[in-house]
Amino acid sequence: MSAATLRRLIVVGLIALWEILPRAGVIPTLFLPSLSSTLIAGWNDAGEYGHALAVTLYEVAISMAFACGGGILLGAVVGSLPRPRILIMPMVSSLYAVPLVILYPVFTVWLGIGSESKIAFASIYGFLPTMLATAAGIQTIDPQLLLAARSMGATLSQRLIRVIIPAAIPTVLSGLRVGGALVIVGVVVSEMLISSAGIGYLISRYRTILDSPHVFAGVLLVLAMAIAFNAAIKWIERKAAIWQTGSRAGQRAADEITAGAIQPAT
Amino acid sequence: MQPLANITPLKPAGAIEVRNVGQIFKSKEQDVTALQDVSLDIKPGRFVVLVGPSGCGKSTLLMMMAGLREQTSGTITISGAPIPKPDPNRVGVVFQEASLFPWLTAEDNVEFPLALRGIPKSERRAKAQDALKLVGLDGFGKRHPHELSGGMKQRVSIARGLVQDPPVLLMDEPFAALDEQTRMTMGDELLRIWAATGKTVVFVTHSLTEAVYLADEVIVMSPRPGRIVDHLQVTLPRPRTYEMLSGDAFGTLRDRIWRHIRKSA
Repeated sequence: MSAATLRRLIVVGLIALWEILPRAGVIPTLFLPSLSSTLIAGWNDAGEYGHALAVTLYEVAISMAFACGGGILLGAVVGSLPRPRILIMPMVSSLYAVPLVILYPVFTVWLGIGSESKIAFASIYGFLPTMLATAAGIQTIDPQLLLAARSMGATLSQRLIRVIIPAAIPTVLSGLRVGGALVIVGVVVSEMLISSAGIGYLISRYRTILDSPHVFAGVLLVLAMAIAFNAAIKWIERKAAIWQTGSRAGQRAADEITAGAIQPAT
Repeated sequence: MQPLANITPLKPAGAIEVRNVGQIFKSKEQDVTALQDVSLDIKPGRFVVLVGPSGCGKSTLLMMMAGLREQTSGTITISGAPIPKPDPNRVGVVFQEASLFPWLTAEDNVEFPLALRGIPKSERRAKAQDALKLVGLDGFGKRHPHELSGGMKQRVSIARGLVQDPPVLLMDEPFAALDEQTRMTMGDELLRIWAATGKTVVFVTHSLTEAVYLADEVIVMSPRPGRIVDHLQVTLPRPRTYEMLSGDAFGTLRDRIWRHIRKSA
């Protein structure tokens, strides 16, 4: 059995357990309502969940734009210029270790309990890894590539567009993966803490009235959002950075040559 | 095309003239003289190898010939004109690591210098095909560098250096990262390409065997300050063969270079 098939079987098994265990009474439904009752709860209040999802998606989208746009821009500056790097990098690295969620109450004081405070918090939360990855991606570009481009007469802007940007894409994407996931976390967590709308708010509200099926319906929605985001990043990675996933193909080329299938190259 | 036409060539295409070139690296502690009073005349179509221990400035000298680095004193001319910045119409460069762009296919890599100049796609493709054919990689154009072996990558690199048909090809330890067998094969391949194109080749290496095997002339350099200590003519007949490696003439030349290097190392 292949690893992928096994993985799918495990997921199917867990879903089945989710339905069976609460029904059989092994787990109290207050702790874990069965999958079907969760789905029914979500379906019955689809309007409410739909509205909450719209609010959350809106906040995630705006925060993502700020976090990724700002992170890539500042990361590019910090990665390519030594002076700002010396100034900013130590600060950013220490900031990264601070649990930023302690700042969220302050944001609600400044910006209110509406979407603005969530966007501000989640943007900063997702900004840091994106920026650090972009800076690292640009700093670690092989200087030989830039030298080669220069030897072929590439101007500064040609080096930027044709060498630096494509070379940095894989690292930037891995930063976006982490940064984007943190944006989702930031939005949902801040909605759960202090807010009046969004999926996080719904989860938090239903929890206080011990309505487990409705809590889990919200959890399922967040889960779906995270999985969709991950799939989107994977798709972009496949499109943009084919050349990274290559060792197997290289091995194949070497095998072909030793087998004499391909002449004459060494 | 570069405005070469309005420079009257004093020397035929492919001639390299190095006059009293010096290079001083300035640092906080002390200035290091990397090259001192280096003069050299390379005639068109010659295969010249620069050898010497690490730190003798042979790569630095090559980078100056490529217009990638400015000398502190003296002059360098390629085909009769100075080379203040890289000019791929006059000089092609091949580096030690293949330095191919991993996100481009082999043919896109070869086309890269042409694309920088805005040459139309069809013309680019045709020239790249010719260059890949010349280096023995016909049919490999659609592969990415990670799908090619080390030797194949260096072939693509050579094709990229030759695609604008410059009279001079500069090579900075191009085979240093390859295994012994591949290295021998690539040496023969390079000689074949050189014979077919008639380029002036300046080749930097650490390997004495490689130096004597490939060269018309071997320039031996000493370290700190980098200077030319010997200039040998290799009169072995061409084509060079594997049997020559064990011959007396070959051994004599190799020994002479080795004595210089041992003295300075």
